Amino acid sequence: MIFKISLSALLISSFLFATQDMKKWLRPLEVPQPMDNKLTSERVELGKLLYFDARLSSSEQFSCATCHSPKRGWTDLEPVSKALGAGRGPRNSPTILNAGYQNRQFWDGRVKTLEEQALGPIEADVEMNMPLDELIAKLDKIDGYVKLFNQAYPSEGGITKITLAKAIASFERTVVSTIAPFDKYAMGDKKAISKKAVAGFDLFKGKAHCMDCHDNFNFSNGSFHNIGLNDGELQGKELGRYLTKQRAAWYGAFKTPTLRDVTKSAPYFHDGSVKTLEEATSICSSGGRYANGVKNKSTFMLDRKLSQTEIDKIVSFLKTLEGPDMKLEVPSKFPQ
Amino acid sequence: MNKFLKFLLASLAISASVNAQNHVIDQSGKTFIPSKITVRVGDTITFKNSDPFAHNAYTDEENNEFDVGMQAPSKETVITIKSADSFNVECAIHPNMLLEVIVK
Repeated sequence: MIFKISLSALLISSFLFATQDMKKWLRPLEVPQPMDNKLTSERVELGKLLYFDARLSSSEQFSCATCHSPKRGWTDLEPVSKALGAGRGPRNSPTILNAGYQNRQFWDGRVKTLEEQALGPIEADVEMNMPLDELIAKLDKIDGYVKLFNQAYPSEGGITKITLAKAIASFERTVVSTIAPFDKYAMGDKKAISKKAVAGFDLFKGKAHCMDCHDNFNFSNGSFHNIGLNDGELQGKELGRYLTKQRAAWYGAFKTPTLRDVTKSAPYFHDGSVKTLEEATSICSSGGRYANGVKNKSTFMLDRKLSQTEIDKIVSFLKTLEGPDMKLEVPSKFPQ
Repeated sequence: MNKFLKFLLASLAISASVNAQNHVIDQSGKTFIPSKITVRVGDTITFKNSDPFAHNAYTDEENNEFDVGMQAPSKETVITIKSADSFNVECAIHPNMLLEVIVK
């Protein structure tokens, strides 16, 4: 509670001291919440237990935290996720940091809300592989969960797919970025980041055009782009949002990821094909991995003619977006 | 069909088309301007792109479904309202761009 109050005080003060043009870079005080699932401590605590409970998977080996771990930048630090068995999933695990502020979830944006998102990985055969009807029946036999669901969602019919999704979404909504050196700089502390990082921020906003997509406090405007990681017709490659509907603009397009805590979530891009921020910055600022022949490559992906020194400055700036880990007690015991 | 009935139907069609209005929606600063409009069946909406990059307005609402496709800077595209169902328009590239269309 003390942490929450001091964090709130810091955030409020940040808005008081930041200049108008810098306020857009500061995280809004309140995360958006749907009318029928306002945050309460009961909902968040229940959601946290569910998030870390491996009994939600068919093998009882996988929890949400397996691929989105707070110890690993809310990802798994793998190029693409380990799947059930010996296989791999098709995509890099995206961080869930600040996901509550996004209006499209998953790399391909196939759902809008965290409530819609929450159940997908539980059911997915390459992830937790747990049919929801079986899971509800299983949870219904755990008295501790029955009690917690009734406390968190009284008069909502106990443990259902809806209350399960709401609880997990409630916890995810509390996973937010903390105050990074860049935020202190935005608040007016001009010594909070190095001159090199300031120069990198200027390049980020200007010559490099990073801000065309990595805009606002979350350093993502949620836009979808084919950034030219693959060449040609993407045969056998990931088609991105195009898989949700064959709209030409979505061919090979993926959601612009947040850059908050980006130092904690390597490797990068939807396919986890890039290990370092230097390489990621170089690819994005030079028009993509493939300069020509990429179908539907974003018009933002142009060669900005950056020198290695300029790329280093941008990386120096990106490192200032790393805040301390949020305070979190990971559950060691689960309802019985 | 007698001549009078044909004349009446033609007059009604002309009247509807004369009364139909065009509503201009600008896409500027990654925002639909205005962000909410009220229209009638038969009205048209002109989507104008004032940004220096592409947009792609669309709706998947069943009875008014449309997709203007990738719209280059300074281009305009006109769509016609076909049904009395209200709907929301999104940009396929910038999903934070939202337009609410109330159909009366």
